[in-house]
Amino acid sequence: MHKTDRHAFVSQLLVYTLVMICFTGSIGLGTVWLRNQIAQTANSIKTFEQRTAEVERHLSETTTLIAAEQSPDVLIRRNNEWKLGLTSPDFRTQFVRINENAEERLLAKNNRDLFAPGPTVQAVKFVLGGTH
Amino acid sequence: MSKGFASNYRIVVLALGVFLCFSGVGVRLVFLHVIDRDQLLRYVDKARRQITPDRAKRGDIIDARGNVLATSRSLVVVQVDPQMLRKEDESKWPELAALLDLPFKDLETIFRTKTRPAKPDDVDNDDRDIRWAKLGENISEEVYDKITALKVKGVYGDRTYCRAYPHNQLAAHIIGYVNKEGTPAAGLEHYADFYLRGQDGWRESEKDGRQHEMAQFRTREVPAANGFSLVLSLDSSIQHIVEVELDEIAKKFTPEKATIIVSDPNTGFILAMANYPTFNLNEFNKASLESQRNIAICDQLEPGSTFKIVAASGALNESLVTPETRFDCSLDKIEYKGKVRGLPHEAHPFANPMLTVADIVSHSSNKGAAQLGMLLGEQRMYDYARKFGFGEKTGFPCGGEIDGELAPPSKWDGLTITRLPMGQSIAATPLQIHCAMSVIASKGQLLRPQIIREVRDARGERVYRFDPSSRGRVISESTAELMAYLLTRVVSSEGSAAKVEIPNYELAGKTGTAQKLINGHYSTTHHVGSFVGFFPASRPQVVISVIVDDGHLPGGGIAFGALVAGPSFKRIGEQLIPLLDIKPVSTIARPQLVLAGGRL
Repeated sequence: MHKTDRHAFVSQLLVYTLVMICFTGSIGLGTVWLRNQIAQTANSIKTFEQRTAEVERHLSETTTLIAAEQSPDVLIRRNNEWKLGLTSPDFRTQFVRINENAEERLLAKNNRDLFAPGPTVQAVKFVLGGTH
Repeated sequence: MSKGFASNYRIVVLALGVFLCFSGVGVRLVFLHVIDRDQLLRYVDKARRQITPDRAKRGDIIDARGNVLATSRSLVVVQVDPQMLRKEDESKWPELAALLDLPFKDLETIFRTKTRPAKPDDVDNDDRDIRWAKLGENISEEVYDKITALKVKGVYGDRTYCRAYPHNQLAAHIIGYVNKEGTPAAGLEHYADFYLRGQDGWRESEKDGRQHEMAQFRTREVPAANGFSLVLSLDSSIQHIVEVELDEIAKKFTPEKATIIVSDPNTGFILAMANYPTFNLNEFNKASLESQRNIAICDQLEPGSTFKIVAASGALNESLVTPETRFDCSLDKIEYKGKVRGLPHEAHPFANPMLTVADIVSHSSNKGAAQLGMLLGEQRMYDYARKFGFGEKTGFPCGGEIDGELAPPSKWDGLTITRLPMGQSIAATPLQIHCAMSVIASKGQLLRPQIIREVRDARGERVYRFDPSSRGRVISESTAELMAYLLTRVVSSEGSAAKVEIPNYELAGKTGTAQKLINGHYSTTHHVGSFVGFFPASRPQVVISVIVDDGHLPGGGIAFGALVAGPSFKRIGEQLIPLLDIKPVSTIARPQLVLAGGRL
């Protein structure tokens, strides 16, 4: 082989080797970047999970507190503390039982209103931007 | 042609160098990936692999109105590594102690104790470093947030789900509790653990040198399945009414025990069940074992006169008598199957001892009940008692229920046929007595007492629904209606519990006053007073049982059921009328209709 050709071949080989090194290096860096992205995404998912769990914990805490506040003992205590004066209804005096059919009663009332001699509803006129 | 930018020698040396480097890397890779592979993998697995459990949340227990009776709340166990504490954080210690509700001296002792003395058998005699100490448990999230904000290095918390009972002692015996180890120990928590507990999940991943999970290396993940929730038929408003009434009974009559049960006769579902003594579910470890017993299903007692409904219903159902059939209730002895049997004494004397069946029920005549029993005979009397649910478990879904005691006729002595119809020679749980009365209210059907209405998943969707369940027909519908009418006379002006009446609401019930069997003898000073009944009699909507064991009247005297239990029945009934929207009954001539076998 001619000496000059050999030099050219070796130079080319060297260039190709450098190109290959750059190429594989790029692939390596790309892979590292990709893995970093995967890690970041996984960590952000983990953070969201932790936040969700935290919200659920606070939710269960709040549910417990609300349930405790709704217990009959606490309600009675609050009624006394705040002097609300709430009492159970007395079925003897505060309940009025209607024995007739409620639908028929409402229908009759409606009919009475419809066929009453005078106007049952006062007409009201509204004027835009002013008083009626 | 140009010679190129490098000499031959240099190029060969550079190429050789690159080749050697690659060869070195290749050889190392062969060692790492082929030759030492198994050993290295084991090491990596041990050092980096971790399995993290994902705890499932236990399901809630909810009442019929949607009130949460039992739930799981997140609590934090606060701990410290004394080796990690910094001098500059010492100024924050008093505030930390206040947040933990811990005396400052105790906190300081924990923080300053950094080593544990060597054990006597330790050859090196080296004191060991303390790396962990508990500062407090059951710390709420809110408080823990404040502790975290202090940023005291070395103080950290572990979260855990803990069972909470927002209503404290309400329905304690029904709900039960989960103990400190997380084991369901009693009540529905134990019975329905299969539904409530859920399924823990887990996550397989790797951790870094600081023990932090590297989320990108998660390989397998099984999510936790939260437990199902139970929806009960129990109504916390009614339960509260009942428990307040039990408190009143306890204050007024100082009984040994007392039980009140309220149920819906049309379905058999329990609306309230409470016992005295009771306990706070959030402080179960401070309660005595005696107060933790669900007396309604775990204790047995002689039902006394409330059992007379069995003899009367049986005789009427077999058409052996009518309500107008008369019996001589002045007799002391009577001949039965060729032998003379002694009749029991009456608790009250009667002006006219010739009592009808209706009078026997309303006046609670012992001699009359005994004669009804003899009319039925041993076998039929026993069969009816069994049909009414005595002598066997009701199937109530809470642990610890007992059978009660009802001996077969082959084991009866000569007096049993005269004593059983009045509620002696038999032992029953309060729930069995309640169920027997419910038979009359349920038009002759024996319904299984139930407390769980529905099972729901974590999203609130219904998974299973419990429907009313009949254990069989005991008496005919017409007999049940007739008995219901006869029982209304108990609370009338001529009956044994005249003061219990609620006008226009047709109360039907039966008093009971059983002498307690102490050391093999019936006591004349210790009694079990009871009142069991329902209303309105013509269309029953609620059955109530009040049983007071060994109550004492403030002024002395026998604690009759009408005195210790009857007033409570009335007060509970009055409060249930608006709550359950029970409508009054129109006062048409119902007695004549019922007695004539007519229907309303």
